[in-house]
Amino acid sequence: MLARVARIVVVVAILGLVVTLALAFRRDPHDIRTGTVNKPAPAFTLQRLDGSGDLSLADLSGKVVVVNFFASWCVPCIQENPALVRVYERYRGSDVVILGVNFQETHENAIGYVQRMGITWPTVADDDGRVALSYGVFSPPETYFIGPDGIIAGRHIGPIDEETLVTAIEKLRGQASSR
Amino acid sequence: MNRRVLIAIAVLALAGALAFAARPHQTTADERVDQITAELRCPVCQGLSVKDSTSETARQMRDLVAQRVREGKTDAEIEAEFRDAYGEWIFLAPPVASWTGLVWLAPVAALAAGLAIVVGRLRSTGVPQRAEPSSTEIAALRERVAREEAAEG
Repeated sequence: MLARVARIVVVVAILGLVVTLALAFRRDPHDIRTGTVNKPAPAFTLQRLDGSGDLSLADLSGKVVVVNFFASWCVPCIQENPALVRVYERYRGSDVVILGVNFQETHENAIGYVQRMGITWPTVADDDGRVALSYGVFSPPETYFIGPDGIIAGRHIGPIDEETLVTAIEKLRGQASSR
Repeated sequence: MNRRVLIAIAVLALAGALAFAARPHQTTADERVDQITAELRCPVCQGLSVKDSTSETARQMRDLVAQRVREGKTDAEIEAEFRDAYGEWIFLAPPVASWTGLVWLAPVAALAAGLAIVVGRLRSTGVPQRAEPSSTEIAALRERVAREEAAEG
């Protein structure tokens, strides 16, 4: 009797393991919904890389904000940059703001990278890494989509493409206009 | 007599040293930082704690923990700040209280199930008994011994 119960327990445990693994493998590794997603975006005020003063997230309230963590030493950041440039041009002057947050490097390297890659959207320096830590950043590139309500609606880990950017932005714009 | 006194003094000295080492003392700020960062997972490492990692991210995390300790935050408040940003993943040991406690429970359950199967199998089959030789076998063995003795003799 005891052995029979134990056998049932083992079978149930193996089935549970299989179901858990099946569900885990279905998840998109670029879209890990832990930590800050669906919560208010942590506030920050950081120095602009171009030296034109500080930029505060609160100043962008009511807009769709795409926060992109980047670094010049990050090869995937270089790969995703053309998509960011195209999307920036597409939404330039609209209610969509792209904001680059520089991650773990010197100002000189960061400024050189920004100029070299044709980045014209606002960029700020997260010198002590506090902003990255408050957003739960693992390593660049990581992109966060903040709605006009200040809530982080989504997060993309790794290099992002134009389609993913536009889809996420339009979803947030649609939600804002339907309110 | 002298030997006994020496042993008694040595035992007393050892006990005193142990009591001194184990005395309750106020945890210093550095010790608290070490304790907290030992439980935090370094986000850019493979299975390393923030305390043990030499990465830049781990250094920034240690600095943040040290600042929060200086600000008078409790361990729970500091851990909550990292949990809010990274989720439970940021802790090297999954919490026992939530569903991740299954990680702790599963090996114990598997061991218990394995033991139950072994015990159940032993009970059903029974321990094999050593059978006594029959009178025919004993007679055959005696005859063989006698034959061998005769051949030697």
